Amino acid sequence: MSLITTHRRELSVAAAYGVLLVALILFAPAFYQGANLRDVLVGAAPVLVAAVGMTLVILARQIDISIGSQFAICAVVAGMLAKAGLAMPIAAAGALAAGASLGALNGVLVAGFGLPAIVVTLATMVGLREALRWATEGVWVQDLPPGFQWMGFGQDVGRFAIPGLALVVWALVAWGMRHLAAGRAVYATGSDAEVARLTGVRPRRVVFGVFVVMGALTGLAALLSAIQFIDVQTNSGVGFELRVIAAVVVGGTSIAGGKGSLVGSLLGVLLLATAGPALTFLGSQAYWDRALQGVIILVAVAADAFGSATRLKARP
Amino acid sequence: MRRLGGGLTLLALVLGAGACRGGGGAGGTEQGQTIAMMPKNKGNPYFASCRTGAEEAAKELKARLLWDGPTETDPAKQNEVVEAWITRGVDVIAVSVENKEAISTVLRKARSRGIKVITWDADTEPDARDYFVNQATPRGIAETLAGHAARLLGGKGEFAVITASLTAANQNEWLRQIRLVLAERYPEMKLVDVRPSDDDRKRAFEETQTLLKVHPQVKVVMAICSPAVPGASEAVKQSGRTDVHVTGLGLPNDARPYLKDGVLDSAVLWNTKDLGYLTVYTAHAVASGALKPGVSSLPAGRLGAVKVEGDQVILGTPFTFTKDNVDQFHF
Amino acid sequence: MTYERGLALCLVLEIALFASIGWNFFTAGNAGEIVRASAEIGLLALALTPVIVTGGIDLSVGSLLGLCAVVLGVTWRDAGWPITVAAAAAVVAGVVGGGLNALLVARLGIPPLIVTLGTYSLFRGVAEGVTAGVRNYSDFPESFLFLGQGRIGVVPSQLVVLVAAAIGFWLIVHRMAVGRMLRAIGFSPDGARYAGLPVGRRLGSVYLLSGMCAGVAALLYVARLGQAKADAGTGFELMAITAVILGGTSIFGGRGSVGGTLLGLATLAVLQNGLRLADLPAELAGVVTAALLLAALGANRVLQGRSRK
Repeated sequence: MSLITTHRRELSVAAAYGVLLVALILFAPAFYQGANLRDVLVGAAPVLVAAVGMTLVILARQIDISIGSQFAICAVVAGMLAKAGLAMPIAAAGALAAGASLGALNGVLVAGFGLPAIVVTLATMVGLREALRWATEGVWVQDLPPGFQWMGFGQDVGRFAIPGLALVVWALVAWGMRHLAAGRAVYATGSDAEVARLTGVRPRRVVFGVFVVMGALTGLAALLSAIQFIDVQTNSGVGFELRVIAAVVVGGTSIAGGKGSLVGSLLGVLLLATAGPALTFLGSQAYWDRALQGVIILVAVAADAFGSATRLKARP
Repeated sequence: MRRLGGGLTLLALVLGAGACRGGGGAGGTEQGQTIAMMPKNKGNPYFASCRTGAEEAAKELKARLLWDGPTETDPAKQNEVVEAWITRGVDVIAVSVENKEAISTVLRKARSRGIKVITWDADTEPDARDYFVNQATPRGIAETLAGHAARLLGGKGEFAVITASLTAANQNEWLRQIRLVLAERYPEMKLVDVRPSDDDRKRAFEETQTLLKVHPQVKVVMAICSPAVPGASEAVKQSGRTDVHVTGLGLPNDARPYLKDGVLDSAVLWNTKDLGYLTVYTAHAVASGALKPGVSSLPAGRLGAVKVEGDQVILGTPFTFTKDNVDQFHF
Repeated sequence: MTYERGLALCLVLEIALFASIGWNFFTAGNAGEIVRASAEIGLLALALTPVIVTGGIDLSVGSLLGLCAVVLGVTWRDAGWPITVAAAAAVVAGVVGGGLNALLVARLGIPPLIVTLGTYSLFRGVAEGVTAGVRNYSDFPESFLFLGQGRIGVVPSQLVVLVAAAIGFWLIVHRMAVGRMLRAIGFSPDGARYAGLPVGRRLGSVYLLSGMCAGVAALLYVARLGQAKADAGTGFELMAITAVILGGTSIFGGRGSVGGTLLGLATLAVLQNGLRLADLPAELAGVVTAALLLAALGANRVLQGRSRK
C-alpha cells in the first residue's frame, strides 16, 4: 500500500490545515508573529496531552467524556498540595496521581464490571463535577506560593517547557504505539477484542490500562494549564472533553476502534487550536465562532466519508 | 405483583408521615421566617461570598435561610427553583435574576400566592417583586467602568471587552449601557471587540492574548465578569505590554496580585458579603411588614440604617478597588 | 423481576422518601410542576429512545432546541409572521436540523457520535450567530404561552403533548414492524442490511424524528418561559440521554423501551424536584444521578446475565 492510502486521513487533515495556514498568510499575516505562534502552542499543549490519552482510549474502542471533570479536580489537587506547603514536584505528582485514580475508577467500572464506557463516564462526569462544586462552592484556590506559577522556572522557560513537554509525551507514546507490544495490544483490542484475546492479549487489562493512562494524562494536562496562572480556578475544564474528542476524531481516529494514529491527533489538535485564534485574526465576529467550529468538524469528517463512499462505489 | 403491593403499602405509610409535615403550612413555624435566596448560579466565588453575609444575617435574625440555585447555565432552571419554593411554601423569596423576561411570570405567581418577593444583585420587572436590593444599576456600572477606561485612555482611543458568555443577560445589559455612555460622553473612544470567556479564566486569558495581537492599538481591556479579570490581567502581564491596562468587574481576592503588579488598574465591585447580609435583612423586613411603601430607611444590623428609595434598598454605589485599598477587603 | 418493574419500584420508593422528607411534595399541584419542568426533556428523551435503540446517539438535540427557539422568535417578531406559522417554521427548522444529521449518518455513514458532536456546536453556533448572542425574544401572545403555562382542567397543557408523543413512540418502537427493524439495526447493522432491510432510510428517519421533536420541545420551552434566546436548552441532551439509559435502553442498541424511558425521566424529574422541596442542595441531584446511572447499568447487566442462563 502506498503512503497515500495508509495515511489518507492524516493527509486530508494536513491539507485542511494547510489551507487554513495559507489563508492566514494571505489575509492575516499578523498571525505569524512569533509571540502568537508561541501562545497558540502553549494553549494547545494541555489539549494535546489529553488528546494523546483520548487517542488510546478511542483506539481501544472506548470513550471517556469525564475528563473535563477530572481536569478540574486534578487542578484543585495540585493547588491544594502547593498551598499546603509541599514542594511543587510533589504537587505535580499529586495531580497526576489524582488523575490516574479517577481514570482507574472508570477503568474498573468499564473493564472490571463490563459496563459501557460512554455511560460510565457520563456518570462520573456529572457526579465528579457536582461533587466538586458542592465541596468548593467554586471558591478558587488562592494565595499559592510564588513557585506555583511556571513551577518556579519563570515565564521564559515555562512557555517553552509546556509545549515542549507535551510534544515529548506525544512523541514517546507515538513511538510506543508503533514499537511496543503494549501499543499493538491497544490496536488489537480495539479492532477485535476476541481475536486479541486468542492471540494472547488481555483486552480487559488493556482497557483498564488506557483509562488509567487517560486519567494520568488528564492530570498532566490540568497541571500544564494550572501552572500558567498564579491561582487555581476550581470549576475549570467545562467542555474540555468535547474539544479533545473533536480533535482526535478530526485527526482521523475511528470511533469504532482499532484505526487511527497519534500523528492524526496532533494535526487535529493543531487545526482546532489554530482555528479559534485564526477566526479572530480573520475578523470573524465572536458569535459566529461556535458555528464555524462545528462546520470545521463536520467538513473534516464528511470530506473523508465522502471520499471513502465514492471509492467504495468505484470498486468493482 | 406482591412486591408492587408491598411498595404501595410502604408508599401509603410514608405518605402519612409526609402529610403531617406538609400540613405545617407555609414556612418553618418554630424557627421564625423561612427566607429562600437564589444566586444566578452555584459554584461561583462571587455568590459564595454573598452567601457568607446572608448566613450571618440569617443567624442574627433567627431566620431559616434556604440557599439554592441552578448548577447549569440553562435559563429555565431559575424558574424551576422558584416553582419548587412556591410549592414548598416559604415566607419570602429573594432572587438574583439571570433573565428578567423569563422569571417575571413565576415571580408574579409567587406573589399571588402571598409570598413576598424581592430581587437582589440583578433586578426583574418592577411589578414582579416588592423590593430590589440595589447594589448598582446597569447604568451605574456602565458609567463607572467607562469612566475608568476613559481615564486610562485620556478619553480617546480603542478598548475591548471580555464578557462572560455571549448570551449572559446581565453582561449584555451592561454592554448596552456602556455603548450608550460612550455615545453620550466619550465619542472618541471606540469599543473594537467583545470576546466571550464562558466564565472560564483560561478562556479569558487566551482571548485576551489574541485580542492584543489582532488589535495592537487597544490600550484598555475591560473584563466584565469576575473570572475574566484575573484572566485578562495575566494575559497582559505575560505579554509584557506595559502600555495596556485592565479594568473590570471583579472580586478583590482575584484582583489583589494584579493590582499590586500594576497590570490591573482597578476592579469595580461592591461588598458582596454586605450585599448578602442586606438582602436577608430586607427579606426579613418585607416579610414581617416592617418594610412597606413609604418607609425611607431600613435598620440592617451592623450596616446601620440603610437608605430606601421607593421600592429599592440602596447598598451604595459601586466601589473601586485599587492597589491602595484592596488589602482592606477579603472576599 | 424485569428491569422496568425494578425501576418502577425505585420510583415508588423515591416518591415515598420525598413525600416524607419534602414539603408539600405529594400534592397534585407539585405533580403538575414536575410534569411542566420535564416535558421538554421528556420529548427529547422519547425521540432519543429509537435513536439509541439503533445503536446511535444524538448529542445535538439541546442545541437544536435552542436554534428552533431562535427561529420561532425571528420569524414571529422580526419577520412578523403569525405565531402559528412561526411555530410551524420552528418545527420545520428542527426537521431540517435533524435532516442534516440524518444525511451525514445514514447517507455518508459517519458515526452518529461524531456527526452530532459537530452539529451540537453548529446548531448552537448558528443560534448565537443569528441573534449575536444578545437578542432575546419575549412578549409572546397569551394564546401561545398557554401551551407552556396553561392548564386543561387540572392537567398542565404540555402533558397532552407529552402523552401524545409517548403513544406515538410506543407505537413506533413496540407495535410496528419498523420498531423491530430499528432493533435489528441496533443489534447488527450488517445483519440487518443482509436481511434486506432499508437500513439507511430507517436510520435517517429516526434522526429526522429526533430533530422534529427538538422543534416541538422548543415550542413548549418558549411557551413555558416566555422567552426565546440562543442559550435555550443548554445541557438538555445529557439529561435526555440519562433518562433513556436509566430507562434500560442499551447504549449499544438493539434493546430498549419507551415505557422505560418514561420511568427514567420520572425518576430524574422527581429527584430534582424532591431535593428542592426537602431543602437539599441542587448539587446532590448530580451526584445521585451518577450513582443511579451506575446502579442501573449494574442491575441491567445482572438481569441480562440471568436471562441468558
